[in-house]
Amino acid sequence: MPALNSNRKQKPDGMVVITISDHDLLKRMLAGEEDAFTALYRRRQAAVYRFALQMTASVVIAEDVTQEVFMELIEHGRRFDPARGALTSFLFGVARNLVLRRIEKDRSQHESELADLAAEDDVVGDLTRRQTIERVRRAVLSLPAVYREAVVLCDLEDQSYEDAAIALDCPVGTVRSRLNRGRAMLAQKLRGKKETVA
Amino acid sequence: MKPEDEVLADLKALAESYRGLEAPAGVEANLRSAFRNRGRRRRFLAWRWIPAIAAAAILLIIASYRIASYRRPAPETPRVENVPPVVRRVSADIRAAAPLNRRVARTRKPAAAQEIATEFFPLVEFAPPVDSGELVRVSLPASAMRDVGLPVREDRLADRVQADVFISEGRATAIRFVKYAQ
Repeated sequence: MPALNSNRKQKPDGMVVITISDHDLLKRMLAGEEDAFTALYRRRQAAVYRFALQMTASVVIAEDVTQEVFMELIEHGRRFDPARGALTSFLFGVARNLVLRRIEKDRSQHESELADLAAEDDVVGDLTRRQTIERVRRAVLSLPAVYREAVVLCDLEDQSYEDAAIALDCPVGTVRSRLNRGRAMLAQKLRGKKETVA
Repeated sequence: MKPEDEVLADLKALAESYRGLEAPAGVEANLRSAFRNRGRRRRFLAWRWIPAIAAAAILLIIASYRIASYRRPAPETPRVENVPPVVRRVSADIRAAAPLNRRVARTRKPAAAQEIATEFFPLVEFAPPVDSGELVRVSLPASAMRDVGLPVREDRLADRVQADVFISEGRATAIRFVKYAQ
């Protein structure tokens, strides 16, 4: 069994919480431990799923992409190099490639599913707020993919510029400039919509 | 509020709306199943080599055995010291014939025929040391076989037979008779 690189934290009530790193879970998973795979999946699936959903607004694509990302991890997890960055960045990188491929392939389906997503998203009670969120969501989705992925990773998924750069396979400076450009485009779109609504 | 701050606030609200969203449980079930199947497949692939390795090992053993058989030296000519200590009188014509027929006899051995030879019969009472010597194929009358005690029919006494004569220190010290299997 691989040596564990774990984090021990003691809670105020005395309970000790041991957190096993992603990389250690991956090593165990690659050694055939299903529990390690399950733990890793449960830890990271939500971020991957949200990223795909935010990029495509398609629940179906988000599910497919999540499944394919973790299938890739099962099949080719040995390709992950911890020296190049966090496992999350690796997963986002795989997800990004799959998403871009699906966007290219299913371009025509996105608009129809967007309405369904908005209808399902009924957890926010305030109508105005819901409208705002829906407006922003549409504005994000209307961004070109290179700006959208930077905005989704850094602003919606709280990834650092460095991690985003690894996931997007580009220099950190490029991430910064794409993010600034994406935000500026969003501001322009949202302002224009506000004016239109007013 | 600046436009950029407004955008960031909007994005924060959007991120909040996504919080708690997860892939459906079915995805996890599919992946766990795939993980188990892959484990089984890997184990199968690992064991798949065992019969191949076993077959290769068997072939190697057979090949080694054949090579060893091919290289194995021909059975040595029985040494004279192993000859049973039976001493018989031998007619002088055998001793005389041995060196004379040496050249002829060497050319007579058929390449493919299998030889059947008798044991060696000593031709002298006290054989000299046999550290070195020479085996010479000669042709003799069958009556020579009688001289060492082998049975020969009367009507075949004049027939020619093949024999190997062991020459040591210039003397014929032992003899065996040879015939070719058909």
